[in-house]
Amino acid sequence: MVDYKKPLPCVNDDTREFWLGCKARELRFQKCRDCGHVRWPASPVCPSCHSMDTDWVVTSGKGKVFTFAVYHVAFHPGFRDDLPYVVADVELEEGPRLVTNIIGCAADEVRCDMPVVVAWEDITEEFTLPKFRPTPSP
Amino acid sequence: MLSYGHNALSTDSMRRTLLELSPQDAVFGHFEAVGGYALAARRAMHAFRTGPETWKHIAVGQRKWANLNPDAFAFKEPLTFDDYYRSGWVAEPLRRADCCLITDGGRAVIITSAERARDLKQPAVLIMGMGQHNPSCDVHQAEHLTGPTGAKKSAETALRMAGIALEDIDACEIYDCFTYTVEITLQDYGFFGPGEGEDWFKEGTIEPGGRMPVNTSGGQLSDAYYMGLTPLSEASLQLMGRCGERQLGPKTKTKPPQIILCSDNGAILQTHSSVILRRP
Repeated sequence: MVDYKKPLPCVNDDTREFWLGCKARELRFQKCRDCGHVRWPASPVCPSCHSMDTDWVVTSGKGKVFTFAVYHVAFHPGFRDDLPYVVADVELEEGPRLVTNIIGCAADEVRCDMPVVVAWEDITEEFTLPKFRPTPSP
Repeated sequence: MLSYGHNALSTDSMRRTLLELSPQDAVFGHFEAVGGYALAARRAMHAFRTGPETWKHIAVGQRKWANLNPDAFAFKEPLTFDDYYRSGWVAEPLRRADCCLITDGGRAVIITSAERARDLKQPAVLIMGMGQHNPSCDVHQAEHLTGPTGAKKSAETALRMAGIALEDIDACEIYDCFTYTVEITLQDYGFFGPGEGEDWFKEGTIEPGGRMPVNTSGGQLSDAYYMGLTPLSEASLQLMGRCGERQLGPKTKTKPPQIILCSDNGAILQTHSSVILRRP
């Protein structure tokens, strides 16, 4: 893991709780105490009602692919060996959408609205990434 | 003076700017701008009938204009439908041929009062109407990726100010960072309904000889990328009659232009502006 060659998350006061959650394998988002809106990206103000009264909640890690792109060009050398790889905007059951990767299936099997679940990937001692894989059939 | 200049091709400044736009997403290998527009275009393919079958008409049609424009970067490079499909994926569903150029150069337009313009050497072009609408929301959370984007209200405002209807437009110069941007802009402007783009574009609608010429310099896909100045400067030159072989009118078997509608948009369909220009 010391050889990790891709960009690392930039942690700030807004996003620290999210990344600590990932390390604990929990998908944590901010939830507005006034209107209940669950939001991402993290921010001090609720984009729905402008309240600053906020809780962090643990979400289910279940969602569906809102949209996706299959990268065939590595814009950063760290991704060269992954080509082609899938970047997706995943819509969580609780509402927020998260840019992430779809793993565990071929790129040409990914579809919009496909159900997915979080799949944790430890990348360094400090960071774990929330990626997603197709929901296994029951 | 309204100007844009950039040595984007010979330096890495444009590339660096784009790659640094969203550091949180770079963690997952997501980079603007092609990545963001690929997400929008893919969702559009899910929401209505569109995709490469539609976009190829935009890439090929604009290239035909560029082949009449000696200043265009792709002047000497014809593009067929086969070439389009052979062009490699960048971020699927977008191919290289769906993406704008990165170029060195610039464009400038001088804006003055109609009264002062009367004494100038070149015939002036008049601004009839302008509009803006900015949905702003980041691509992650945006609900407007498949329309209506900011284009809808922006054009409504500009048309109202100009006191004209869409039917009065003779040609369009549309901000075309990617082919999908052209489709969703014209769709939101009301030229066709969601999913009707392929039928609207085919039969050479936007090409030389077509009934609604679009991006007559080749646009950003085939002429040069100078942000909003690519469409704005081309519309001005067309209305002044300074476009040589690509001049709208008898030379290109198109309607001599009285009124041209221009667009610009920013980020991933987050901002939009429309400008309507006419011959004096």
